[in-house]
Amino acid sequence: MTFNRLLYRAALVSKVTSRSVFTSSKPDTANPNWVRVSLAFGTSAFLWGLLFKQHSTDVQEYKVRNGLE
Amino acid sequence: MGFIPDQGKSLPPPAVANRNSVWLAGVGWCSAMLHNAINHRPPLKSGVHRQFLMATIGWFIGYHLTKYENYTFARLDRDMNEYIRLHPEEFAPKEKKTFAEIVEPFHPVR
Repeated sequence: MTFNRLLYRAALVSKVTSRSVFTSSKPDTANPNWVRVSLAFGTSAFLWGLLFKQHSTDVQEYKVRNGLE
Repeated sequence: MGFIPDQGKSLPPPAVANRNSVWLAGVGWCSAMLHNAINHRPPLKSGVHRQFLMATIGWFIGYHLTKYENYTFARLDRDMNEYIRLHPEEFAPKEKKTFAEIVEPFHPVR
């Protein structure tokens, strides 16, 4: 019990309050985070472009190596 | 999703739409929907950008996985055929017997 009392005193004395993981604001579902949305769609578009580019490169490579073009 | 060495580049590349792509895109989509559900959001209607991104990532990985799979099977087939070619004595065709030669005479006990 006295140990707890000592701890209370320590908390009063210490200027650094405890840190908490809880945020003060709820996630706002009505207003989307447009930066994140545009980043997500931009990354998707980039990946699709990369995929089609890679595919056409592969097809070209195949044709060249097998003497079809 | 490893690198294909030079000899694998003469294989026909997989189509953009292939089984691994479709499956992994489905996995990505379902994982985005699960993420929504865990965070108490409507699974299908919320975070469409997330669902699309995860499906795209899955599709991309699936394409490269199919390419690597094709290369691996082509390499194994080539090695197997080369072994068969170099060791014909192990793959001699068996002589075939007709059923009439194998079957024992039938003595009915009635």
